[in-house]
Amino acid sequence: MAEFAILGILGIFALPFLLLTLFWAIYGIAMPLMFIWGMLTSGRNLDKMIEETNARERSTRAALGRDPLSTVDRWMVRSDVTSSGLIYASGVFGPSYWQLMIAWVNNLTGGSVTVFQKVISAGRAEVMQRLRENAMEAGWDDVVNVRIDTADMTPQSSQKGKIRGVEVFAYGTGIKYN
Amino acid sequence: MEQVVNGILVVNTETIPGKMITETLGVVSGSTVRAKHVGKDIFAGLKNIVGGELAQYTELLHESRQEAVGRMVADAMSIGATAVVNVRFATSAITAGAAELFAYGTAVKYE
Repeated sequence: MAEFAILGILGIFALPFLLLTLFWAIYGIAMPLMFIWGMLTSGRNLDKMIEETNARERSTRAALGRDPLSTVDRWMVRSDVTSSGLIYASGVFGPSYWQLMIAWVNNLTGGSVTVFQKVISAGRAEVMQRLRENAMEAGWDDVVNVRIDTADMTPQSSQKGKIRGVEVFAYGTGIKYN
Repeated sequence: MEQVVNGILVVNTETIPGKMITETLGVVSGSTVRAKHVGKDIFAGLKNIVGGELAQYTELLHESRQEAVGRMVADAMSIGATAVVNVRFATSAITAGAAELFAYGTAVKYE
């Protein structure tokens, strides 16, 4: 019986390590498969996302007849403002590992790194569209003083950054006219 | 997306549209460091391989930002302000999966 008890105690201590091993084993198989999947689909997915964002943006512009966002304090022109308030929208976007590899090759030859430019501008367009939608949902007529921030999500402290991503954050002041 | 948080008006313009600022009370700020549990981190890591939006981190940053704004507003309330103008945000990633969000602005009284 004593042997079983010892085995049981050892088993409890070993369990986390076994689970960890299992996780890395699955990861080892899944990672290359997902890399290939990303290689095949990431370009198309990105194009699809850009197309979808553009379609939503067109419908918003068609509904309002103009772009509600502006970077100036437009309320200075109009004095019939009844209420105002802060609104914001954000999103974290990352390139696929395949796109990172293309970018690395692009880096060797120099010039513009088209892949990253595409990923970031797609993300930015998406976040700006979310800001428009948030503004319409909250009932604002206009969004003034819009600022767009981009923050690197890859931490400086880790030796090999696990997450390759960029956070796009857009904020502004929604205003309502009388 | 409410216009007034706990009775404090928050805008990122230098003045309040349609209102008159009577007194400035100084800088108020709020910050927060938040992380997602490891399961969501793993999902985000896997999503990162194929690219696209990392919804887990979008959610994380959205929640954190709301909390940072909430703390900034609490700070403003404690010094008797009625509005916070010229709000700015700063973001930094401390480790993988944890982000620091910082919101600051000027506390004012308006009429």
